[in-house]
Amino acid sequence: MINNKIGIISCSGEECLGGTISRLAVRKMMEELKPGMVSTLCLPLFIAGDGGEREFAEKYPTIAVDGCSKCCAKRAIEKYSNQVAGSVDVAEIIGEDKALEKPLSTRHLTDEHHEYVNKTAAITCQIFDDILAKQ
Amino acid sequence: MSKIKVIPCSGIGKVFGLLARESVLMVTEEKCPNDTETLCLAHVVTGDDEVVAKINGKSCITMDGCAKYCAKKSVEETGGVVVKSHKVPDFMKAHRGEEHGTGTALTQDGWNYAEELAEILAADVKEIKGGGDLL
Repeated sequence: MINNKIGIISCSGEECLGGTISRLAVRKMMEELKPGMVSTLCLPLFIAGDGGEREFAEKYPTIAVDGCSKCCAKRAIEKYSNQVAGSVDVAEIIGEDKALEKPLSTRHLTDEHHEYVNKTAAITCQIFDDILAKQ
Repeated sequence: MSKIKVIPCSGIGKVFGLLARESVLMVTEEKCPNDTETLCLAHVVTGDDEVVAKINGKSCITMDGCAKYCAKKSVEETGGVVVKSHKVPDFMKAHRGEEHGTGTALTQDGWNYAEELAEILAADVKEIKGGGDLL
């Protein structure tokens, strides 16, 4: 059930580190930075188009958080719903080479990875606050 | 001979998506690194040319987090041959009452369950290879 009025779609990519970071940054938004204020949408469900996700992103501002410069989440939102309200590319934050490193189990996260998560979440949070201020 | 593609859903809202992801990483990185690889579901659902070429007509195993079966459906729509399909809740019966964590982090019970799921996937890999059904 989607109750909040700002959505975030993380690519959560399984093939590279950037996807791991995008996923954890959005989880940080949900649990620590904006608890109860974030509606996360599942990218595969969004693209499948049968869960109400597309309708949500058509009506309400939605932020894409992508792990690499292919920007799957951003492209999907713009193809199926509307212009994104904001877009974060982890590769721009931590560097393309780093973003394309192997995906990581949460068991193997280091302080460096947590710092990437914090930076990505902070930028996403800033976009979130900017959207909120305009509402 | 190509590696078996083992693809989890990228669900972010609940622990099931993380269990799917971690169990697949255990297989592709630790248990069967020479026989398996994972692919990015975001790339699959957006029809990325490189990933479509890798998956089309090839043996795939999917691990979904919920009954929407996003990974299985998306892989099939992209031309992958889903030889084995599972969803995380299918094996919960023996784990009733346990707390497995959240979409961000697993508890020890969660890691134990992920390990069990990974063993199921590893057995699938062995069966596919042994049966001569590898595409």
